[in-house]
Amino acid sequence: MLPLLKIEWLKIKKYPAFWWMFGIVALTYPGINWMSQKGYESAVSRKDVTGNVAKMLLGNPFAFPDAWHSVAYFSSYFVLVPAILIIMLIANEYTFKTHRQNIIDGWNRNQFITAKMIDVFIISLVTTISYTIVAAIFGFTFSDSINVTRWAEELQYIPLFFLQTFAQLTIAALLGFLLRKAFLALGIFFFYFLIIEPIIKVYLRIKEISFREFLPFEISNRLIPFLNFFGRVNKDANEAYKQSLTEINAHVLYTLIFTTAIWWLCYYLNKKRDL
Amino acid sequence: MSSVLSLQGITKNYGSLRALNDVSFEVPKGCVFGILGPNGSGKTTMLSIVLDILRADTGTFSWFGKPSSSDSRKKIGSLLETPNFYHYLSATDNLNITQAISGRGTPADIDAVLETVNLVQRKNSKFSSFSLGMKQRLAIGAALLGNPEVLVFDEPTNGLDPVGIAEIRNLIKELAAHGKTIIMASHLLDEVEKVCTHVAILKKGTLLTAGNVDEVLTNEDIVEISAADTTRLQHALQSFSGFTNIKHEGNNIQLFFPIGTANLEEVNRFCFEKGVTLNHLTIKRKSLEAKFFELTNN
Repeated sequence: MLPLLKIEWLKIKKYPAFWWMFGIVALTYPGINWMSQKGYESAVSRKDVTGNVAKMLLGNPFAFPDAWHSVAYFSSYFVLVPAILIIMLIANEYTFKTHRQNIIDGWNRNQFITAKMIDVFIISLVTTISYTIVAAIFGFTFSDSINVTRWAEELQYIPLFFLQTFAQLTIAALLGFLLRKAFLALGIFFFYFLIIEPIIKVYLRIKEISFREFLPFEISNRLIPFLNFFGRVNKDANEAYKQSLTEINAHVLYTLIFTTAIWWLCYYLNKKRDL
Repeated sequence: MSSVLSLQGITKNYGSLRALNDVSFEVPKGCVFGILGPNGSGKTTMLSIVLDILRADTGTFSWFGKPSSSDSRKKIGSLLETPNFYHYLSATDNLNITQAISGRGTPADIDAVLETVNLVQRKNSKFSSFSLGMKQRLAIGAALLGNPEVLVFDEPTNGLDPVGIAEIRNLIKELAAHGKTIIMASHLLDEVEKVCTHVAILKKGTLLTAGNVDEVLTNEDIVEISAADTTRLQHALQSFSGFTNIKHEGNNIQLFFPIGTANLEEVNRFCFEKGVTLNHLTIKRKSLEAKFFELTNN
């Protein structure tokens, strides 16, 4: 595994898109959370009834321990940025035909897939580290003296964020393997992530079909549930939130099964097909 | 002589198109093995199969007497079809990856192979900035890394200028002189004839012939003669027996004998006794080009 990691690092470390992605993540993660925090601040700073209601509804999502959850939730929308990189890293191998050369030079076909899994792992790790730093900074900045002592609560959102990122980037990797063309894989990934799956989710909800939690992205989206904005005044919303928290463990399992199945498919196809 | 590569009954179909049809042959150790064939004859498909890029539908092959594995490929320096490198990396960085995957050579050997293929001045340039010829030379350099015992070259002189072609030809001869086994696919007959000791000829996926160049090219003896009076020589030869065919090549006459039966002394004596003095008498080998066209009916 270590030799594969070293070789993938040789490929990645001088790839400009990697450093662009790193830079964009480093900007967007604090950026989206800063915007959300400013939105929260302006809502609760009003002196009228609305401001008090907002404060009551929202609590302080950027103070510990909620910061781990809130920052993970807002940041998770930006999985699109590392997904671009994953698709490009995989499509590059087909464009440059280095997927063949790596085998000719002495990798077996499974090693090639394992190497790409390592890429997904590295990118997920970098993304998770960025999230952790941003969440920690927000938590320590916006916590009062009581909240700050609760910094170690809800740390489970760090591995959950990693798993969610790894699972969703795995879908990007699958598209890269299947389609081999960056623009096509990116187009389909974006179109499905931003448009198709949300439409399917709404349709299934209207039709009261319970399958929607097993949609490719939703299966791991539920690792970081929707924030409890209305749970404080709405009993049903609060129940739904509590329910979503209890479902996290099940979704960890579903996500692991789904992600394993995708990688198994990648290994299987790469072993069988002509390169 | 032991075999480096052995193919048994390799067949490959692309849909309804049969790209390789029951191909079997052996590549002896230490030879320069040319694989010839027109475009689309299956040369690259065959090399792709033995390098595990394509899957054969039927048949087996072995490297060094063992079933193919990633370990066996690590011992082989290969250039297949096109130079395949990371466009955003330099020549050195790309060879670092080749070295890390194959385990052939050391990072210190990279400068040496870049020197061999005349790229040391551009070692820090990105691959994307290279000309076609430079890309090809880098691919040859990657194959040479670590001084492997076996080299596989698919159209190694593609994109090279005449000087580059001559350099690669000399390099191949030099490698062969050091006992390397070289398997080389080409449609450039002259190139193969100049460097190969063994040859296989493919046509539409079928192996027409394979073996030692002398054996493949020589299936008959050609005795070429000439005299000052060609008409008298022709007349004299009417009573000569033993040859199967006679042809006129400019001022020369070619007599075709079954392999191993031509006797230059006998031809010379016969003509002299008939009053014709020969001014040219030689035994010729059929050119690879002639043999190739004969076999492929082009």
